[in-house]
Amino acid sequence: MLILTYLKEVYMYKLGAVFAGILVAAMIFFNGTLTGYFGNSTTLVIIHTIGLITISLFLILKREKILINKKIPFYLFLGGAIGVILVSFNNICFMNIGVSLTIALGLFGQTVMSLIIDSFGLLGLKKHKFDVKKLIGLSLIFIGTIIMSIN
Amino acid sequence: MYYILAFIAGTLTIISMVTNATLAKYVGTAQSTFVNFIAGLLISLIMFFFFNNQSLAFINFPLWALLGGFLAVFIVIITNLVIPKIPAIYTSLLIFIGQLLTGIIIDFLVNHSANKNKIIGVSIIVLGLFFNFMVDKKDNKKEINLKCENSIS
Repeated sequence: MLILTYLKEVYMYKLGAVFAGILVAAMIFFNGTLTGYFGNSTTLVIIHTIGLITISLFLILKREKILINKKIPFYLFLGGAIGVILVSFNNICFMNIGVSLTIALGLFGQTVMSLIIDSFGLLGLKKHKFDVKKLIGLSLIFIGTIIMSIN
Repeated sequence: MYYILAFIAGTLTIISMVTNATLAKYVGTAQSTFVNFIAGLLISLIMFFFFNNQSLAFINFPLWALLGGFLAVFIVIITNLVIPKIPAIYTSLLIFIGQLLTGIIIDFLVNHSANKNKIIGVSIIVLGLFFNFMVDKKDNKKEINLKCENSIS
């Protein structure tokens, strides 16, 4: 039993993250097509409207009790807003420095921020102390990213 | 200047995901996703009114392109579930790997060509990730052993 729960803990959520990445690639493909027809800001409105309808239907079907209240710290409601801002940043950079450099630099920023969040347990996450041995893996990841962005 | 902007966009990516996952702890995944899309819609409407300089016209476009918004919901739900369970750095990198592999496959299907550098780069990234997972495994095993010893004694 211990082994089963261990396997579940270790692999299920990691596979989930990979699956989310697969969906992201498909989403970028669809959204890119829309942007070609409507331009940037209109596409953002369309995507969020569709998303809002989908999750609303989901909520209605589930008939959950609404738990949103005033005690929750306000900054937690800003995730979606930050998401839109970062997409526009990305679009500006795509136009000026190209796709691969934007992705490589973005991943670098994400890696640094993730490490900061993990080692201090920021934003309500568990603390994960940084193991120096992991620097080897991280430098491999960094080298891979650089090779990828060479065209 | 744009280099810094791209870097900041990357830091915002993970902040946005973690913020949402923490909200999910308070209100559950579905409602947290709902809040995510309301806030996103509000900001994109504001940007639409300030920056949109294209005239709105009904254009014939393929309906399947609307699937992106639909997929976005599932992406938010999955990241909400995953983020509290594994370190943020792994969430970032695993999503990135899934994205890259699918990107290579889509490129291959659409253009019938594959970029060598991308494939080499991804393989090295996966290697680095697995190395770090191994480091984690050792730590986890130690923890589990400790727990067992404690429960016995």
